[in-house]
Amino acid sequence: MATAQNGARGIRVQVQRFGSFLSGMVMPNIGAFIAWGIITALFIPTGWAPNKELGELVGPTITYLLPLLIGYTGGKLMHDVRGGVVGTLATMGVIVGTEIPMFLGAMIMGPLGGYVIKKFDQLIEGKIKPGLEMLVNNFSVGIIGGLLMLGGFKVFGPLMTGLDDIMAAAVGAIVSAHLLPLASLFIEPAKILFLNNAINHGILSPLGLDQVNEAGKSVLFLLEANPGPGLGLLLAYSFFGSGAAKKTAPGAAFIQFIGGIHEIYFPYVLMKPVLLLAMIAGGMSGILTFVLFDVGLVAPASPGSIIAVLAMASRGSYVGLIAGVLVSASVTFVVSTVLLKTSKAKETSLEEASANVSAMKGKQSIASTLVSADAKPLAEVEHIIFACDAGMGSSAMGASVLRNKINKAGLPIKVTNTSISQLPQNAELIITHRDLTERAKEQVPTAEHRSVDNFLNAGYYDQLVHEIETARNKIS
Amino acid sequence: MTTTMNLSPELVLLNQQFADETAAITAAGQLLVDHGYVEAGYIDSMQERHALSTVYIGNHVAIPHGTESAKSQVKKTGLSILQVPQGVTFGTEQARLVIGIAGVGDEHLELLSNIAVICSDEENVERIVAATSKEEIIALLTAEV
Repeated sequence: MATAQNGARGIRVQVQRFGSFLSGMVMPNIGAFIAWGIITALFIPTGWAPNKELGELVGPTITYLLPLLIGYTGGKLMHDVRGGVVGTLATMGVIVGTEIPMFLGAMIMGPLGGYVIKKFDQLIEGKIKPGLEMLVNNFSVGIIGGLLMLGGFKVFGPLMTGLDDIMAAAVGAIVSAHLLPLASLFIEPAKILFLNNAINHGILSPLGLDQVNEAGKSVLFLLEANPGPGLGLLLAYSFFGSGAAKKTAPGAAFIQFIGGIHEIYFPYVLMKPVLLLAMIAGGMSGILTFVLFDVGLVAPASPGSIIAVLAMASRGSYVGLIAGVLVSASVTFVVSTVLLKTSKAKETSLEEASANVSAMKGKQSIASTLVSADAKPLAEVEHIIFACDAGMGSSAMGASVLRNKINKAGLPIKVTNTSISQLPQNAELIITHRDLTERAKEQVPTAEHRSVDNFLNAGYYDQLVHEIETARNKIS
Repeated sequence: MTTTMNLSPELVLLNQQFADETAAITAAGQLLVDHGYVEAGYIDSMQERHALSTVYIGNHVAIPHGTESAKSQVKKTGLSILQVPQGVTFGTEQARLVIGIAGVGDEHLELLSNIAVICSDEENVERIVAATSKEEIIALLTAEV
């Protein structure tokens, strides 16, 4: 039993890891998609204010800019800005090698480019003669990027076109067979497992953008982002729930529906898993309504708030959109109410369910550690990071004192400071105030963590420098 | 040393006494408010930040500053310096030098780094606490390291 559970959890972590990587490429660029969505909604021939001249922005933006942004972000996730640059070059190869907007290609070539240059950098690390670093850095990016561009153009481009055709055809077949509502069978349970962003931005958004390019709108953006089912569930709890759940549900409903933070309703489902049926029913009926009214959005609605959904609506979609949201909310509300009233199964308390959710979230943040490795041995540490809440005060001071001592000892180690939320996933040795060490560990579980309660404690830093020197001496 | 900012005598106060850490943080913040470095709301954020995790950093030094989200309330970069010879209790520790931080971007870091290195030597902290003029404090805190 325990092993089965571990196995299932392992798969979930894997999927989440992959999903959060995919959405990590798309999410930072949502603003650019929205900008494109606004320009498109206004100026294309079927838009609000058709304008041939301004409409010229639409094509190049979706063909070049948006995939390149994704390719850059994907590369950067692998190997910072150098990775981003090579990822962008590799993506450009696929873009020019194909006729369609290359989101799928960008999501593959970007990280691939970043990975290749990362491996190269690791290979040559410490083997470059002083003074030649700049030359090697620039030419390695240039040569590797150039080769990947050619590879993208000749090999991956055609491959991607094929893959994209298959996926688009599959979605097209599901749509034309009127089976799209069945998507809820997968989407609703996956959402509760925090795969919402992975599904929406990793899979549905890229396919949706293809559709927008052809048809001016896509219903795919609505499959996950529809705030209706969550609203229905939370309203049902508001009226027919009990205890803490009943009291907190109205506030949660507001945050979910207006704020678009769907995560807030997940605990309410987890405390009574049978309610998943209500979510699926609501999701399906919503999609059915959207399809019947033939509505769509012009860009992803992110977050999935009613405001974002309406703002991204394609022209003429409002009636159907509002109808779909209301239908899904009503269906979920009715089904949830029936389930809440009839089901005698013992409810997990909201507190308990929330704890489950944080546990899952925790897993997710661990899962986002893309390149996970065990903490580096002290002798190999090359970068020490001080972290505090904002990264502007105590961590900066601690870093200064240690940096001073490291430099005096002549050790080739970088000492920097940052805020905990911006700790890089590949951090090696992290020093935090003891009150914040737990948070830092959650953020980067693979790093070595040290706690201090006096950031100015010269003695402690002397000791740490000594420890590192001893460790290094043992190796050499 | 060359820094993008300097310590200004108007932001240094000698011989301060405070009943508790809250009063000390408020005073460090108020000095920044009075001279147009931050908006009044920044003081609340400094208290908030201290409640979250102590701003006492060791060696009798406390560095009250706002949370990351309060950065918008910082108008220009500056450090307020309060000399508290008798000390003020921060949790279980005594702070005798309270440095209020207002930073736009990373402008304050160079100076703060220097201060950190200086204050990591407790003897230097003693000298600053014993200083008798604003100019002396500024000279001690900006000494070459």
